[in-house]
Amino acid sequence: MTTEGGVQYSKIAEIKGPLVVVDDVENAAFDELVEIETTEGERRLGKVLEVGNGKAIVQVFEGTTGLSISGTKAKFVGKVMEMPVSKEVLGRVFDGLGKPKDGLPDPIADKFVDINGEPMNPEQREYPKDFIQTGVSVIDGLMTLVRGQKLPIFSGSGMSHNLLAAQIARQASVVGTSDDFAVVFAAIGVQYSEAEYFRRSLEESGALKRSVLFLNTADDPAIERIITPRVALTVAEYLAFDLGMHVLVVITDMTNYAEALREISAAREEVPGRKGYPGYLYTDLSTLYERAGKLNGRKGSVTQVPILSMPSDDITHPIPDLTGYITEGQIVVGRDLFRQGVYPPINILMSLSRLMKDGIGEGSTRADHSEVSNQVYDAYSRAQEVRALAGIVGKAGLTEIDLKYLEVGDTFEKEFLTQATDENRTIEETLTLMWKIVSKLPKNEITKIKDKYVEQYYKEE
Amino acid sequence: MGQLHPLTSNSALESTIDKILTNTEKNIVSNIKSALDDSQQNLDDAIPKLDSEYDKIISDAKKEADKIEKQITGSSDIEARNKQLLALEEAVDRVFSTALDQIANADRSGDYSNLIKTLIEEAIQILGTSEISISTNTKDKDIVQSALSQFSGAELSSETINCLGGIKVKSKDGAMTFDNTIDARIERLKPLIRKEIAAKFGVGN
Repeated sequence: MTTEGGVQYSKIAEIKGPLVVVDDVENAAFDELVEIETTEGERRLGKVLEVGNGKAIVQVFEGTTGLSISGTKAKFVGKVMEMPVSKEVLGRVFDGLGKPKDGLPDPIADKFVDINGEPMNPEQREYPKDFIQTGVSVIDGLMTLVRGQKLPIFSGSGMSHNLLAAQIARQASVVGTSDDFAVVFAAIGVQYSEAEYFRRSLEESGALKRSVLFLNTADDPAIERIITPRVALTVAEYLAFDLGMHVLVVITDMTNYAEALREISAAREEVPGRKGYPGYLYTDLSTLYERAGKLNGRKGSVTQVPILSMPSDDITHPIPDLTGYITEGQIVVGRDLFRQGVYPPINILMSLSRLMKDGIGEGSTRADHSEVSNQVYDAYSRAQEVRALAGIVGKAGLTEIDLKYLEVGDTFEKEFLTQATDENRTIEETLTLMWKIVSKLPKNEITKIKDKYVEQYYKEE
Repeated sequence: MGQLHPLTSNSALESTIDKILTNTEKNIVSNIKSALDDSQQNLDDAIPKLDSEYDKIISDAKKEADKIEKQITGSSDIEARNKQLLALEEAVDRVFSTALDQIANADRSGDYSNLIKTLIEEAIQILGTSEISISTNTKDKDIVQSALSQFSGAELSSETINCLGGIKVKSKDGAMTFDNTIDARIERLKPLIRKEIAAKFGVGN
């Protein structure tokens, strides 16, 4: 932070959507922070998107409603947007721009960090391989989250992804180490009731102490949503790489972020890409998702669980599609299971954690984890086929073994998948439940697990 | 047909009764034994179930206790921390207002005119023009006026502004303004000053 900058310009050439074009501007810098002063003296923040030919295009985070060409002033602050960070941010609630929302003063900053972050040197990246326990069986058992991983949740409108997000934020922990763990929770464009639920849920469970909340509600200006994930990740990086903590970043809902990006792109009259999203959507998303990881020689890690709701449950929509290219797997929330009242309604056959194999097994979870997980996947897949068959020929036409698989499918959904929102299962409990499912099958159907594990854990009922 | 001797008939009866009694006793004993065995078996079977049920109850209770402990310690820690933050902020504010009072009443002689010159130079450099109009407060008006002789193209505005000290500079075409008052400079550096003050109270660093 310097005393430089601070020139205020009063020639506003144009106001277009969330953008303000300022005339006769010299020495403005790309991404520079701008303070817009309205005729009533109200101050709003923005940043420079483009400079040249004596003009600067400024994106106003709080929106341009109420601004007029005459009387509006733009002060170029001389620095990029920074987030004050210190250990004191833990337990605090901020708005989407990083301003306190809990009635407390600004945190006393240890340092001020550019919210765009510094790109991680790929050479310095360490391969993620340590397990994070979410306490949610289906995630821990079948699509294990690993420290430094980015594992998105693909959901649909109205489904229970926010309940799941809050449950993960409350329960997540690192096992087998005394390292500090923190959760950074960024809510983008959520309803007020949901924002309140997130805050209360962390507060009442005592998890707020180790969490930082950024809440951008649906009635906040859409443009603010561009900033929310960036301030959240800036805090996460500080906690991880300066203070050595393992940080889980939960961001919900990335679809609202992409919508805000589309709004700015349209206002800038850029050539639209698929479904009107800008052509650089992939690049832009990667600047967020790639901020997850671990660095050689540094103790902490940043793990990301971005949540996005797929418009019309369409997994080929540009947002989930491009997200899937960048992230390391996906957890898909299924509409059918949701309609049946299953919580969490995760469709395991469409879900996958690409880094799971490196984060489980002896020394991390348990030696039999990988094999029992494969067997459960296989059995549930077969159960789905049998269900489809039963729909045609009826149960009477099924063989005895088919009926066993039907039973496996039901047990899987009722006892393993279904979990209360405040039920925190340890990995041992999760593995015990997985063996309970596998034990419904006759031994000769167990083809993916070594005999020694079958001997040890199989319990015929 | 002659009558049986009473003793003989009694003995047969007794023998029959004895037999019946013995059989019944055997049956009863056997039933009791089997019931005992069954009970023993049931008891043996129940022990591991009971053990596992006991373990489950203990582990559930432990989980619940951990949860409640986390809730209590978490919320009390947050509450204590928040009170500390508010107290600290109050102290920082008090330090700030004392410092501002001192600045406002500071002696304008000595180096202060050099400070004004530096502020004007800085403003000209940042605006990129020396064709400027300068506003200041009533206290600093004379100092600014005397400094203006060194800056051709600069003039003092007749309007005064309300500030602790320093100047506010506007380009003559009115397009650009640079606020170089002491108030604005303090505002720009406020987060860093807060950090320094907090450090004096032993918070941060």
